Amino acid sequence: MFYAGLALNGLAIGCVAALAAVGLLATYRVTGVFNIAFGAIAVFCAYVMWQCVRVWGMPVGVAAVLVLGVVAPGIGLLLERVVYRPLRGSGASGLLVATLGVLVLHLGLIFLLWGGRSYVDAPAILPAGDVRLPGSLRLPYSTIVELCVVALIAGALTFLLTGTRVGLLVRAVVDDRDLAAASVPADRLAAGGWAFGSFLAGLASVLWAPIYHLDPYSLTLTVLETMGVAVLARLTSLPVAVGAALAVGIGQTELTALHPAARWQGLVDAFHTNLFVLVLFAALMVLPRLGIRDSGSVGAGLHRSGARRTSKPDLVQRLPLGTFSLVLGLPLFFDPADLRAALAVPALAVIFVSLVVATGYAGQISLGQAGYAGLGALFMAKLAAGGVPWLAALVLGPLLVAPIGWLTGYPTIRRQGLYLALTTFATAAVVARFVFAQPVFVGGLTVSRPPGFTDDHWFYVLELGGLGLALLLVRALHTGPLGRALVALRDSEPAAVSAGIDVRRLKVFVFACAAGLAGLGGALTASAAEAFNPTDFDPVQGLVWFAAVAVWGVDSAVGAVVGAAALVAVDVGTVVGVSGLLIGVGAVLLGWFPGGISAVVRRGGDWLVASQDSDREAGPARRLSPAGRELAARLRERGAG
Amino acid sequence: MPSLLPLLTLDALRVRYGPLEALHGVSLTIEPGEVTAVVGRNGAGKSTLLRSVAGYLRPSSGRIVWQGSDITRASIGRRAAAGVLLIPDEGGVFRSLTVRENLELFAGHRAADLKLAFETFPALKELTSRRAALLSGGEQQMLALSRALLAPWRLLLVDELSQGLASALAGRLYAVLAELAAAHPDRSVVLAEPHPRAALAAVSQVHVLRRGELAASGSPADFDAATL
Repeated sequence: MFYAGLALNGLAIGCVAALAAVGLLATYRVTGVFNIAFGAIAVFCAYVMWQCVRVWGMPVGVAAVLVLGVVAPGIGLLLERVVYRPLRGSGASGLLVATLGVLVLHLGLIFLLWGGRSYVDAPAILPAGDVRLPGSLRLPYSTIVELCVVALIAGALTFLLTGTRVGLLVRAVVDDRDLAAASVPADRLAAGGWAFGSFLAGLASVLWAPIYHLDPYSLTLTVLETMGVAVLARLTSLPVAVGAALAVGIGQTELTALHPAARWQGLVDAFHTNLFVLVLFAALMVLPRLGIRDSGSVGAGLHRSGARRTSKPDLVQRLPLGTFSLVLGLPLFFDPADLRAALAVPALAVIFVSLVVATGYAGQISLGQAGYAGLGALFMAKLAAGGVPWLAALVLGPLLVAPIGWLTGYPTIRRQGLYLALTTFATAAVVARFVFAQPVFVGGLTVSRPPGFTDDHWFYVLELGGLGLALLLVRALHTGPLGRALVALRDSEPAAVSAGIDVRRLKVFVFACAAGLAGLGGALTASAAEAFNPTDFDPVQGLVWFAAVAVWGVDSAVGAVVGAAALVAVDVGTVVGVSGLLIGVGAVLLGWFPGGISAVVRRGGDWLVASQDSDREAGPARRLSPAGRELAARLRERGAG
Repeated sequence: MPSLLPLLTLDALRVRYGPLEALHGVSLTIEPGEVTAVVGRNGAGKSTLLRSVAGYLRPSSGRIVWQGSDITRASIGRRAAAGVLLIPDEGGVFRSLTVRENLELFAGHRAADLKLAFETFPALKELTSRRAALLSGGEQQMLALSRALLAPWRLLLVDELSQGLASALAGRLYAVLAELAAAHPDRSVVLAEPHPRAALAAVSQVHVLRRGELAASGSPADFDAATL
């Protein structure tokens, strides 16, 4: 059954998706970066436009010219110069963290400058009317204009890239910037590519304004969800992306006409409101690979090159463990309001530590920890509702998440870099939309704390116990043969395979462990708040967490704990948006200090230790082989001579 | 008559990768018209030396002087415009572009001269529409070396031309290089080689790198090829 009226409505939705997909693909083709932050840049431009028109009273046309001609390309030029040029040698992971940083940074700016308020009076540049078609159907002007713009961009870009010399130069710069720099003005071409990419984001914001309320999250999420269309096109084919976007948009509205038996209605509703998420998930599951180069080295850009697995006894490790636990114990002496805020710290720290396990130790990017965390909280609540004592549920719930991590780890076996990141994000998005947002699963859920720990003080102690347990598990994963195998997996998968490591089993095992840990963190979060709050486990939240952990040093468990404390402290102590801004700035600048804050601290510690050692003339403290002793003797001779 | 200024002067050049220093203060000069070999084992710093001259790496200290002007901080593009051309040991071609597109890029605006490359390497002629990523190692190296035929240069830096190639093909590539050097007596060529025997016949100057330091310099006659 096919309804023409619904199809026209669907066309409008499809146009929005097509514009987003074309923007993503065009940016990818001219810059080589899959710009997850496309939606966030668009929203930022829309807010600037609103400010110009509604506050400063500019005419809409002037504001549009200002946004499209100055603001949007300016953002692109700035990003290219400050963020992406220093990252040109790093792999997919480094670029991914940078784009996540750009996303978080723009959201933070919106919260800081406009308080994150949503406005219904976004200035529209397109006329509001519509064209009457036969059969009392109406086609809005905005849809027609959007269709034309999408077709124009797709056609012009395809011609430009394949038919002109400038296109050849752009493709050369995207392929290998250093090599291209010798024969073409690579920096200028790259800057032009970025200016064009964010111009498209600005264009999308102007065209979308009449359809959406101005809101920091909605458009960002829309773009993230429509990534599925871009994935279907394997990030290469613009026509496929446009066609798929329109088809999914129309399919989505046609589904609303489907009225099955009442008990299936909820499922059908979930399907048609979340069809784009499903397409993203299905496309990532079905397509064997994207039409792009995935970086060889998984952790490039996230890890300091030549990072040691076990550090020299540097300053961080020389800090007595007691000092560390003392600091974590401090909130017990805070006043009640601050202690309540501090309850979020150990829970978040456990989630961060799960990211350290997956990404830091094993090199597997996981943007989906929010999904596992939410499932942990949900399972705990369900178990408790089924009669299991709360304390047991707190342990059993997360344990039940581990098999789910095991299961969802399977598709990741053959995936790396960007593809792996998108797959994990899609998993979290599907869980959020089909579980956390469904009243069937989360309706009437009560969460309370285990008896005996209802007081904030005691619950904090319980949380610290959970964190300690998590850190012990992480320690076991980081030392001994298992730790060596994980680092081998991170550094080079082919080398790990040829060293006899069962990479497939190791990967799913790591995902299971990380999922279980995240589940524990989620269960603690929900218990601390005494409520299951789906927004706590939003997929976008997972992106922010990932960026935060990357900033603090993705292979440092201590960094993760400190990072969680800092994030909560900044959130409580300042206005909304500051933490996002800080994380964003840190993440986009990661190209300047690979390995994050913990690597900087570690380097500083090494330097201090080294200078102390040289003061003491450390002689026999190091055990050397005979050849090493000979070398040391020779070095001393040379120093003396 | 040769100009008084050397073409290139390296002054106490130090280059580091993170905590590791690969070149510990190398000083040398390259005169116009010279064919120089930089020899040394793996890890001696040959590639690092070449890459920092071409601008791919930033030295931590020391100076690179090009005909009297300091280019230590100059970009890859500026050095290339001045005439420094590096053919790296791997990644000397744009992998996602076709052979013809690669050649057109190398040739710059003089795109009509592609036949020069096809005359020297007839094998490339049948591969014009194939993507460079799908070429064999030898074909990729031919394509990379075509850049020296098509692009203008005054100092050509060639990093391990023979790496992983059959000796017949390597000999052919060296012959092309020797022809190039002979045809342009005012230009200079620097070859980085772990096994200098094949290359030694063509060169006029040899620098030996050992563990990031310049161990010896001289004419090829000063060295016994078997011991290098």
